[in-house]
Amino acid sequence: MTNFRKIASDGVIAQNPSLKLVLGTCPTLALTTMAMNGIYMGLAVTFVLICSNILVSLLRKVIPSEVRIPAFVLIIATFVTIVRLVLDKLLPAAYEVLGLYLPLIVVNCIILARAESFASKNGVIASACDGLFMGIGFTIALTLMGAFREILGSGAIFGIHLWDFSIGFFASSAGSFFTYGIFIALFSLIEGSISKKNKIKNYNKLVESKRLSDFVVTEEN
Amino acid sequence: MKNFFSNIWFRCIFTLLTIVLISGGLLSVLNDLLYVPEEERTERAIQSIYGDVEDFGVEYDGETSTKVLEYEFGKIEKIYDVQADEENSYILFKATGNQGYKGGTISLWVSVKMSEAGIYSIEKTLLAGFEKQTLMSKLNDAFYGNFNLQDTVETYENSYYFTTNPGESNSNLVSGATMSARAANNAVNCVITYLGENYND
Repeated sequence: MTNFRKIASDGVIAQNPSLKLVLGTCPTLALTTMAMNGIYMGLAVTFVLICSNILVSLLRKVIPSEVRIPAFVLIIATFVTIVRLVLDKLLPAAYEVLGLYLPLIVVNCIILARAESFASKNGVIASACDGLFMGIGFTIALTLMGAFREILGSGAIFGIHLWDFSIGFFASSAGSFFTYGIFIALFSLIEGSISKKNKIKNYNKLVESKRLSDFVVTEEN
Repeated sequence: MKNFFSNIWFRCIFTLLTIVLISGGLLSVLNDLLYVPEEERTERAIQSIYGDVEDFGVEYDGETSTKVLEYEFGKIEKIYDVQADEENSYILFKATGNQGYKGGTISLWVSVKMSEAGIYSIEKTLLAGFEKQTLMSKLNDAFYGNFNLQDTVETYENSYYFTTNPGESNSNLVSGATMSARAANNAVNCVITYLGENYND
């Protein structure tokens, strides 16, 4: 039975592709100069993830394992090209912002990794959910990083000017690495404390259930 | 025969070819549906340079020249007459400069303003393309701002072409992207040459 709750929590928190698995670092570092750029990239990757996961899952019993990687890359490249054509026609601002990183989505590790490790072994609906929540996790990470760098680097958020104060370091390439490191550290801290609380909770439940079972045995006796 | 079709290599090649054919067919249909014509790209460039067409009353009558003009520095691919309002008229060039990195080229949109006195000056330059994540990102507003001359015809007469040679008075150089800067300079040099040849009274 597919655990959709686990798929969702894995995609956004436990196996966040950007902050936990550290995949797709190239667009993460290059495009998070503004929050809006992060949203554009995240949505493009989410669309490709969902569509490629669905198709890979549908064809998982048809594609021979010897050529699964080239087949996956062909499928991913098709959807990336569709995204390019749509953005160029309907959203030229997004197309211009993403620039060279749009075709580079084809070789983004997140998409190929999910196709290989999840979609090729699970059903269509589970794969689609996995693609969706992995994409949401990636989008959230990029948007937060972009917002952080935009506020500190340009004194604006989503293009809206906030104040005149800015630290140019955060708008630079070095700043992107620094920001990424801060976010990974913060995420590990938060995720670690949540995980610890859950472990304590589960342990207490186990202990409680054992106490109850001991009580039942005594009663029968 | 049956063994041939059940052979693993046949199945591999057949699977890949099927995916290629279906993807190719789908993408060719979508390419026709979502094709962006050259006129629309030009209008986007005009909007970037002059603002919203309706607000400012920008009009252009298609291409003034359909011939590609070749020069020592590169070529001019398109020329448009743009009327922004009753007082200001512009000539918009799409120029490509050569001698870039590894012999590459860079294309720029160059907007030249014609004043009442008949003096031409470069108002704005814009990169024609989406390579902003490459070395092109080093060519910033300050670099493009150096192209704004008082009188481009005078610069032509004085052989005042932009160069990346440091120390010269007309040097427009970006450290770390010298060759790209040279190609961008050459695109503007093509425009200066054209104006000098055609509007030099």
